[in-house]
Amino acid sequence: MKFAITGLNHKSAPVEVRERAAVSDAALPERLRALRAMPGVHEGLILSTCNRVELALALEDSRDPSDITPCLFGIDGHRDLASHLYTHTGSDAVRHLFRVASSLDSLVVGEPQILGQLKDAYSRAKELQALGPFLEPILMRAFSVAKRVRSETDIGESAVSVSYAAVELAREIFGDLKGKKVLLLGAGKMSALTAKHLRRSGTAEIYVANRTPGRAFELANEFGGSVVEWATLEQSLPAMDIVIASTGANSYVVSEPLMRQVIAARRQRPMFLIDIAVPRNIEPAVNTIDNVFLYDIDDLQQVVDRNLVARQSAARDAQRIVEEEVEKLDLRLKSRGAAPWIVALQAQLEEHRAFEVERQRAKLGPLTAQQEEALEALTRGLVNKIAHGAISELRRGAAAEDDAVIEQIKRIFKLGGKA
Amino acid sequence: MLELSIFWLRLAVVFYAAGLCSSLVTIVRREQSFFAPALHAFRVGLILHFVSLVDRAFAVRHFPADNFFETISLCGFLLGLLFVFAQFRYSFSSLGLFLFPLVFGMALVGALGTPVGGWASVRIRSAWLIVHVMLVIAGYASLLIAGGASIFYLVQERQLKAKKLVGGPFGAPSLPALMTLDSLLARTMNLGFVFTTLGVIVIVIWAFIESGTRWISDPTILISMLTWFVYLALIYLRTVAGWRGRRAAWVTLSVLTLFALTWAAHIGILGTVFAR
Repeated sequence: MKFAITGLNHKSAPVEVRERAAVSDAALPERLRALRAMPGVHEGLILSTCNRVELALALEDSRDPSDITPCLFGIDGHRDLASHLYTHTGSDAVRHLFRVASSLDSLVVGEPQILGQLKDAYSRAKELQALGPFLEPILMRAFSVAKRVRSETDIGESAVSVSYAAVELAREIFGDLKGKKVLLLGAGKMSALTAKHLRRSGTAEIYVANRTPGRAFELANEFGGSVVEWATLEQSLPAMDIVIASTGANSYVVSEPLMRQVIAARRQRPMFLIDIAVPRNIEPAVNTIDNVFLYDIDDLQQVVDRNLVARQSAARDAQRIVEEEVEKLDLRLKSRGAAPWIVALQAQLEEHRAFEVERQRAKLGPLTAQQEEALEALTRGLVNKIAHGAISELRRGAAAEDDAVIEQIKRIFKLGGKA
Repeated sequence: MLELSIFWLRLAVVFYAAGLCSSLVTIVRREQSFFAPALHAFRVGLILHFVSLVDRAFAVRHFPADNFFETISLCGFLLGLLFVFAQFRYSFSSLGLFLFPLVFGMALVGALGTPVGGWASVRIRSAWLIVHVMLVIAGYASLLIAGGASIFYLVQERQLKAKKLVGGPFGAPSLPALMTLDSLLARTMNLGFVFTTLGVIVIVIWAFIESGTRWISDPTILISMLTWFVYLALIYLRTVAGWRGRRAAWVTLSVLTLFALTWAAHIGILGTVFAR
């Protein structure tokens, strides 16, 4: 049996092709059944996300996996699809699976969703009895490799978009964002996106202040927030924890002296100001005030750039882990070839042991429970010691694909017809 | 008459202790706790303190500010009187956080000017000392945690201000959020103050029983009391003036340094006591 992965992803196929191959939740059971029914396919799993459609397969050694995807999905124009398909077998397939699970093959390297999606695909396949003793251990290994990558590298630690970087920075200041109040100064798209992320992170209320009240009401409604009148802005500021400024004003809307008053009125509780307007809305000197943290669009972009570099470095570490794990699994899969001979050897030795024990028992007559126990322990110990070296050699031979060693042991122990 | 004035003063200390408890609970919970009953008890204590001063004046036939103990008792009374007036006139209740413990401390020291008989048993003496050591160790432990949180706060704040947030120092993982660190250092510093206050009260009474009125000239006891006073002042400023963030972190580190010096001074006294 061999392990194979075939499919397409964001690197190999444009979205028009990916969407044609995508498998909906409702269609999954039928597709899995069709997959299992294909000749030479023993086990299978379908992973379908917006960025990839892949099949993980346990196939007969002679089965070519490349025609499975077009047949399975019944897509018109197989030739067109074939140019986008990739197929990996053996160690390459294991490596690909580990990279996918660890988010090294994702559009945004390190994003956490893919592992959850793979786990869901695993659960569905298991539920529909499409998995068996060959694929299941490989998938379980992929999950633990992904876990190892997450815990031993910083691959998922930092934000890689400006709006998410702002949320991450807010967390660095406030910790839990629950109950924090956010003021949107101006109603730009970027500030709305940042507010959306903040809202998802649990901030209590969103307030909008805009020179044009109509747009302010519109945005406030979008977030279930409230409108702050532009004229009362200075009085409202001390109640806010996070301010996102994106007005089209040509001069500073928030000055340093104003912020000194605001922070005093807040009794020095920290404030996070995000200025994504160009020209800037908040006087840069505000950042010199204790407990006030000001980030403009360039600062946020720098955070993102640093995080991207950090992620690339983490991805290199993660790749090393993946290679290490591929090697380990490869050895384990290869040593599986020795399993029938190991079982045969153990059965044969046990047969000899049981025979000799019976023979000695007949000679010795009735034995006490203690003597029985001693006899069992003695013979089992001997058998295990004799088998140990041979079993190790069988495993080593199978892993190194050294048939000569396996043949030699089979000949020594006369295992020929038993496996 | 002299014994009676001491009796009234000691009774006043008991009432002042209600104010001290109110301050300690307020510091730990970070919200004003049972202030009204504590103020009533404080007023009763003030009346008893006044009675004690009058009694003493009649007994010694001069104004009761002739020695250190009389003077500190009188100062404590006047401070208490000023506080009650400020509270009545301006509703300046937050001042109680500072003055309740201070007046209690001054009245307690004033009440320890008349020697008592020695220890009832050696075991009580040792147990008393062990209680002091335990309280002081708990105080030091709290302060050490507060000191650690302060250092982390300063590092994290510096990184956020410099916009160079790339994990913790020396490649360590990211530090906790600023507000988490601020909350941790406030809580541990406040808890440290409670343990230290109780520790100082216990050692002052121990030293008084141990060596009569000579304890007041012991430099290590004086350093302890001075440290406690600075700690009280800083806690008051932090709580009432709303010091937080970087300023609070530096305050905590200053208190920790002061305690390190006090500890260095104490190594001698503890060694001597246990060697006896």
